[in-house]
Amino acid sequence: MANADPELLISLTADEAAEVLALGSRIQLASGSELFSLGASADHLYVVERGRLSLTLPMQVQGREQDVQVEERLPGQTVGWSGLIPPYRFTLKATALLESEVIALSRSALLDHFARHPFVGYAITRNLAAVIGQRLQVFQAMWLREMQRTVERLSE
Amino acid sequence: MVMFLMALCLSMFGLAVTAMAFGAATRDERSAEAAQPALKPALPMSISPSRFFSDLPMVDLPAAVLPAMALPAMAASASRPHVPIEVLLLQIERHVRLEQAAAESFLDYPTVASLHSRTTSPLVH
Repeated sequence: MANADPELLISLTADEAAEVLALGSRIQLASGSELFSLGASADHLYVVERGRLSLTLPMQVQGREQDVQVEERLPGQTVGWSGLIPPYRFTLKATALLESEVIALSRSALLDHFARHPFVGYAITRNLAAVIGQRLQVFQAMWLREMQRTVERLSE
Repeated sequence: MVMFLMALCLSMFGLAVTAMAFGAATRDERSAEAAQPALKPALPMSISPSRFFSDLPMVDLPAAVLPAMALPAMAASASRPHVPIEVLLLQIERHVRLEQAAAESFLDYPTVASLHSRTTSPLVH
């Protein structure tokens, strides 16, 4: 593992982390290739091992649909938590910005493992909640900033 | 007597040159003042459509359709004509980065001031 402490595996022992990672399969991504698309069925969670991923949303710009980057993911970070959260659909598109490698963890394999090792399931769920919570808080603040500007424009 | 006449001639010549120079100077000012009102209304019409950085064809823009994280400033910018799409996309991505950084800064130190702090994004000015 390029990053010794992936955010998904914080508070696990080295053996526990190794067992979790052994459930996954490595996927090599060429620069520009797509890991998953918006709206696709989400059956896997990904840990970035190497490279850099871009998370994009589509916007209509000058009459054309364009992917606009809203986040980047680096080694050690988690991508695709929709794989563990209903309704299991990706809400972003993930693309490799450069040659990258991820570890794909299937939902079924993870849930089976959690059933056998409840503490691991608890720790990973907490780590995932932190990732989701961070995303929620950042976007909530961004939304409020935008709303404030809208109100200011309307008041002018 | 000769010297007196010479001094008189030189004085007259100097006076004539001074008068000509004064006349020329005041005529320029008057003509500039007279010409300026005529130029003002013509100025906006004489400006051709700008084509900064690119010769991409201009497109009439439909209303922007935004994703779930709708950012009205982006939509407003997207509806501005004459901005090459590559430049616009770079501006949008820069705007998102700056807004994210501002939002993360707010989460680190939550205050009203940091929540509504200004960024250098051109899309909000």
